[in-house]
Amino acid sequence: MKIIALLVSVALGVILLVATNDLPEWGDPQSPASTHLSRYYIENSMEQTSVPNFVTAVLADYRGYDTMFETAVIFCAGITVLTILRRSHRRKKKDVQPRPCREGQDIILKSAARLIAPMMQLFALYVLAHGHHSPGGGFQGGVISGASFILLSIAYDLEMLLSRLKERTIMFFSGLGVLIYAGIGAICLLLGGNFLNYSSWSKILQVSEVEARSHGMLGIEIGVFITVTFIMISLYADLASGGEMDEGL
Amino acid sequence: MEVNSWVLWQFDVLILLMVVVCAVVALQLKDLVSSAITFGAYSFFMCILWTEMLAVDVAFTEAAVGAGVSTILFLGTALHVKRRAKD
Amino acid sequence: MSMYLNTIVVLFTGIGWIFFLGATVGILRFPDFYTRMHAAGKGDTLSTMMILFGFAAYQLHHPDLASLLVAFKIVFIAVLIFITGPTATHAIMDAGYGSKIDHWGTRDGSVSHCLIKEDERS
Repeated sequence: MKIIALLVSVALGVILLVATNDLPEWGDPQSPASTHLSRYYIENSMEQTSVPNFVTAVLADYRGYDTMFETAVIFCAGITVLTILRRSHRRKKKDVQPRPCREGQDIILKSAARLIAPMMQLFALYVLAHGHHSPGGGFQGGVISGASFILLSIAYDLEMLLSRLKERTIMFFSGLGVLIYAGIGAICLLLGGNFLNYSSWSKILQVSEVEARSHGMLGIEIGVFITVTFIMISLYADLASGGEMDEGL
Repeated sequence: MEVNSWVLWQFDVLILLMVVVCAVVALQLKDLVSSAITFGAYSFFMCILWTEMLAVDVAFTEAAVGAGVSTILFLGTALHVKRRAKD
Repeated sequence: MSMYLNTIVVLFTGIGWIFFLGATVGILRFPDFYTRMHAAGKGDTLSTMMILFGFAAYQLHHPDLASLLVAFKIVFIAVLIFITGPTATHAIMDAGYGSKIDHWGTRDGSVSHCLIKEDERS
């Protein structure tokens, strides 16, 4: 079996290496990407969308479909892990091993987590809101925000997190993010534009079309942020407790 | 190239070497928890590599997702399955 | 002005490098888990903070608002490391203690350093 796996990987590697011969040279100024595509984005993204960081502009506006289905893929991954791992019946108490960490003695950990988690959430919101001007955006901000909740649930335990944030709430919000993204696109249809063409939002927001695209990007980034945050919490809760939703790691 | 001249090429070679070493070690380790930690180190070196290539957005994503959250998810999974790999 | 600033930068980063060297030697040469974690936690935190303060001082060569902002961000990273580094060291140490790693000196059976009794450890 291992020999077959080796053969398959070697064959795939050879095919990929041969295929790289047809790619243009790295950094070749005559390649199609450098002559048409990149130049178009670099020259036009500022005046078309008024977003200085054109990575965000490409990701959220020009390639909006891709990002929408990426968000949907993350949502599907969360749903799949939940479906496979979640068990409603509990194991007997005998099988559950006691935690190696002694109770009541990890106060340093809890205090530090209480100190760090608000800073992480603030930084996540900064990354989300500042994604138009600097590296970052909804995905990275969502991951940082989800990590702050995971940090809290490691320092305390998972039951503490789940008593404040019900499973139903988590799944509601992770669906809500995708709904915000697709809804912003669908309202564009109702306003007479194309799907995910945010410039038609200018009729509602009373701004110019260029600024409407910028605001639309912020809206969909907020949708991505919400989905990624709550899917990360859901993934951690399912994987760390084996679907039991008990004390976790 | 004026843009890339701020990085020494020796540093470049060092980072690439560490990426390869971390990847091979993460594959070869039998203990799944150690493997997960080494994979986090691999992600961190990839993050440095992306930063060096001036792809800061990708580096940010790699640092947040690869080195941060996915290590925790791997650890949470590794503690619930049999801890040592067979092959 | 620039001369004094350069002196401060070199001083901070030099102290940082020295402490980093000490931490590395400590990790390699100390005999057991706890003393190694001691070297790693204290030396790493202090040296990283020193080097970061040196970087922040280097940013002040151009005293405009953008450089000040960068310097402030670097100081903020130093504060974050000041909180997280010792906490992580404590957590690793606590986990090692909980999983009954022996102290130095208990391997030859001469000294017993169990701080808590066996039944409390589980």
